[in-house]
Amino acid sequence: MVDTTKNTKLFTSYGVTTSKAINPDMAAKMISKAKRPLFVVGTGVLQPELLDRAVKIAKKANLPIAATGSSLPGFLDKDVDASYINLHQLGFYLTDPKWPGLDEKGNYDMVIVLGFKKYYINQVLSGTKNFSSVKAISIGRDYIQNATMSFGNISKEDNYAALDELIENL
Amino acid sequence: MSKLTTGSFSIEDLESVQITINNIVGAAKEAAEAEEIGPMGPTPFPGLASYRDDWNLVLLDRYEPVITPMCDQCCYCTYGPCDLSNNKRGACGIDMAGHNGREFFLRVITGTACHAAHGRHLLDHLIETFGEDVPLDLGQSNVLTPNITITTGLSPKTLGELKPAMEHTEEQLTQLLATVHAGQESSEIDYDSKALFSGSLDHVGMEISDIVQIAALDFPKADPEAPLVEIGMGTIDKEKPFLCVIGHNVAGVTYMMDYMEENDLTDKMEIAGLCCTAIDLTRYKEADRRPPYAKVIGSMSKELKIIRSGMPDVIVVDEQCVRGDIVPEAQKLKIPVIASNAKIMYGLPNRDNQDVDATIEELKSGAIPGCVILDNEKLGELTIRLTQEMHPIRKAEGFREIPSDEQLKEWVDKCADCGACYLACPIELDIPEAMKFAKEGDYSYLEDLHDACVGCRRCEQVCKKEIPILSVIEKASQKLIAEEKGWMRAGRGQVSDAEIRAEGLNLVMGTTPGIIAIIGCPNYIGGSKDVYYIAEEFLKRNYIVAVTGCGAMDIGMYKDEDGKTLYEKYPGGFECGGLLNNGSCVSNAHITGAAEKVAGIFASRTMEGNLAEIADYTLSRVGACGLAWGAFSQKASSIGTGCNILGIPAVLGAHSSKYRRALIAKTYDESKWKVYDARNGEEMPIPPAPEFLLTTAETWQEAIPMMAKACIRPSDNSMGRSIKLTHWMELHEKYLGERPKDWWKFIRNEADLPLAKRADLLKVLEADHGWEIDWKKKKIISGPKIKFDVSAQPTNLKRLCKEA
Ligand code: SF4
Ligand code: SF4
Ligand code: SF4
Repeated sequence: MVDTTKNTKLFTSYGVTTSKAINPDMAAKMISKAKRPLFVVGTGVLQPELLDRAVKIAKKANLPIAATGSSLPGFLDKDVDASYINLHQLGFYLTDPKWPGLDEKGNYDMVIVLGFKKYYINQVLSGTKNFSSVKAISIGRDYIQNATMSFGNISKEDNYAALDELIENL
Repeated sequence: MSKLTTGSFSIEDLESVQITINNIVGAAKEAAEAEEIGPMGPTPFPGLASYRDDWNLVLLDRYEPVITPMCDQCCYCTYGPCDLSNNKRGACGIDMAGHNGREFFLRVITGTACHAAHGRHLLDHLIETFGEDVPLDLGQSNVLTPNITITTGLSPKTLGELKPAMEHTEEQLTQLLATVHAGQESSEIDYDSKALFSGSLDHVGMEISDIVQIAALDFPKADPEAPLVEIGMGTIDKEKPFLCVIGHNVAGVTYMMDYMEENDLTDKMEIAGLCCTAIDLTRYKEADRRPPYAKVIGSMSKELKIIRSGMPDVIVVDEQCVRGDIVPEAQKLKIPVIASNAKIMYGLPNRDNQDVDATIEELKSGAIPGCVILDNEKLGELTIRLTQEMHPIRKAEGFREIPSDEQLKEWVDKCADCGACYLACPIELDIPEAMKFAKEGDYSYLEDLHDACVGCRRCEQVCKKEIPILSVIEKASQKLIAEEKGWMRAGRGQVSDAEIRAEGLNLVMGTTPGIIAIIGCPNYIGGSKDVYYIAEEFLKRNYIVAVTGCGAMDIGMYKDEDGKTLYEKYPGGFECGGLLNNGSCVSNAHITGAAEKVAGIFASRTMEGNLAEIADYTLSRVGACGLAWGAFSQKASSIGTGCNILGIPAVLGAHSSKYRRALIAKTYDESKWKVYDARNGEEMPIPPAPEFLLTTAETWQEAIPMMAKACIRPSDNSMGRSIKLTHWMELHEKYLGERPKDWWKFIRNEADLPLAKRADLLKVLEADHGWEIDWKKKKIISGPKIKFDVSAQPTNLKRLCKEA
């Protein structure tokens, strides 16, 4: 088992609150428990090793995908429910309880994020953290302070292994 | 006495006393106001509240401030630090939203102050040198000062007549700065309104900075044929002495160039620069198109790289966007640093009062690492002579050589693969991986990092093995760097009235689908080619692409298969498919100025003191979108916010999320998408366009369709709408893989549909959205929420309506 809770050195943001470092099994449990989760993937997910795992996660947990940046083409032929939305816009809409969501069925209670530049996702999540009750779980290779829960700073290889464990536990 | 603005008088009993009045603060404005004639809008010489209710809150109601704090704490006063997380209030009473509004606002007024102070410096310097009466000859224009005019109501015609606008900007900046004090403003929305106001002043400060230099220093004057100049690290002839200038203020550099010319040195040494001084030195005396000899190295991201290359024999810095570690870095390679502007003195000794020979000796001997010289005459002579004398010395001592191959290998071998550099690198470059391959003899991974690396040195600061990582990357990229040679069109200055008249109709009709303004710094996400790709895509599609500053530089660095840069391939005019380099950062005022002129000249709107109406026109009718892809400096936030108040949306790169604020509309909230019809004051629904005033994109591929969409405006006619939709939908499909999901929201009748796909799209409207189609006539019978009325006059300002 990969220990994804070790290195939680911060990159950009600072202040008093930092996200809880978690292991893949815990992440899987949280995702399974969410009422209306949304899988938010950035352009970094187009790396084949990540894309493959992202598709498996979406399928296994039956998660709709918000494909931000230019990541959507990676999901078009994968038989998943993926829609394009700009990340900053999404971050803002998540803070509005009246947002109808990507499927017109209402806002989400949890976002699972993968495939981002850490400074960008961290910054956008600082908005949802402080101005909404949406929970955020980061399952990429960087420790994201402004998520609610996050893997620590790990290597690419450890990240792949952690994602595999997460998929198994879903 | 307050009516006396200039003059002198003597006091009789004290015959030796004479008092000269050059100017009384406020008197110039008063005199200017007294002279005012002609039409005038409601807000000449605006203050903190002038635009608030009428315009700013209207904008902020639709484009809501999106707050993404950089930190949960406020460390502003001694009551604190306070924990503001979850929008809690601090000990002073401010909440997190208010505090972050304040933080963003502080960035904006810092940027505004930089441009205003730059403008003041140049204005005073040029008046002192050439006199007050130098006419503002800026090319074929009657509207010389669009930003000054919509702000103050004035239309200055000479250098001296710019003073009231300058004073106004300075006075309002003081008022704005005061609101940052703990216990003043606490409302986030009011900080945003003040930020917008500051943004508008920023374009006044920039306008002053650029027009005074165009007028007095003989820069190209609204000239689409401004000469092409060389750009890139590879353009420097290493055999020649090299004077490198860095910063944003060209005043001192003109003396260096004059000295070179007087002493016949223009082909015997190199003068080249980084950042906007570089752009402006290539504009100096180019109105009559003498052969350009000054060169551009590139943007701020190249500052440390060029120093580490060892090539410069002397470095001169002026102001803004200049690194704080230039002296210690230059010292290692025995490069004297001359500070030429009182804003950056680096702790160096001032040698204004010493003769040039003695100072040259001090610097040559290394007794001092550099000095301050504010006397321009001395600066011109000293820097040129010193460069020539340092060159052989530095060459003999081996300082002009980059590290050896052995040294590189030694450094690479030291890497412990700890990953600390990856964690610290703001661009998230995988340095450890590149080091691993380099150890095995494959340096291509290191070479790949060069383009994206912004040269910040954060990696070196954390490396426990003390590897000079930046130098490693640069050494490994020597071949690439030697090939870094391109062309950039020297800044052309304003858009002329004639160009506006010729192009205004196309813009308002939509046959020219929009203006794309690419501005700003080099803190890109993917690498410096990002902006090239974006410019190329829009140029191919006949948008007008206006560029300035570091963006303008990076666009010129790349060539197509035939070896041509975009500047060589596309015309330099304000015309469909034109690529205009307006100039340095301060030339951004010409981009907003062009939009204002479309309203003023083309649509005959009163410009004087009438910002809201002009901005409302742009937001409703002129398809324009800015891109500040690498916005790094505070000036970028003031420039962007200035565009926003003027009705121009802007897309920023992902790093700019660190500015803590965006302005995004809720596309799903129909109550936000209504304007008035100025003919009768009735509310009319509009499509959700533009859907943001300020936001970020993750990749250049995402930015392109976002910008094409942001050029859609409520009052597009059917032909314009159909052209704009064609581009947006094609670009969305090309870069994001499928047709956008919300395209149908923009359709008012069948004529709005993109021509090539009309039948296909009608089917979709019928099948997916339940619209009724008359298939015989290929007409939409019912379905659209928005009616199209050719003669409707959409406005966001109730007061402009007939029945109001
Ligand atoms: S300014 Fe207010 S919120 Fe900030 S530290 Fe002081 S008391 Fe706390
Ligand atoms: S100098 Fe370059 S590689 Fe080093 S941290 Fe800065 S951007 Fe990254
Ligand atoms: S910080 Fe230094 S030692 Fe560690 S991986 Fe980077 S270059 Fe190697």
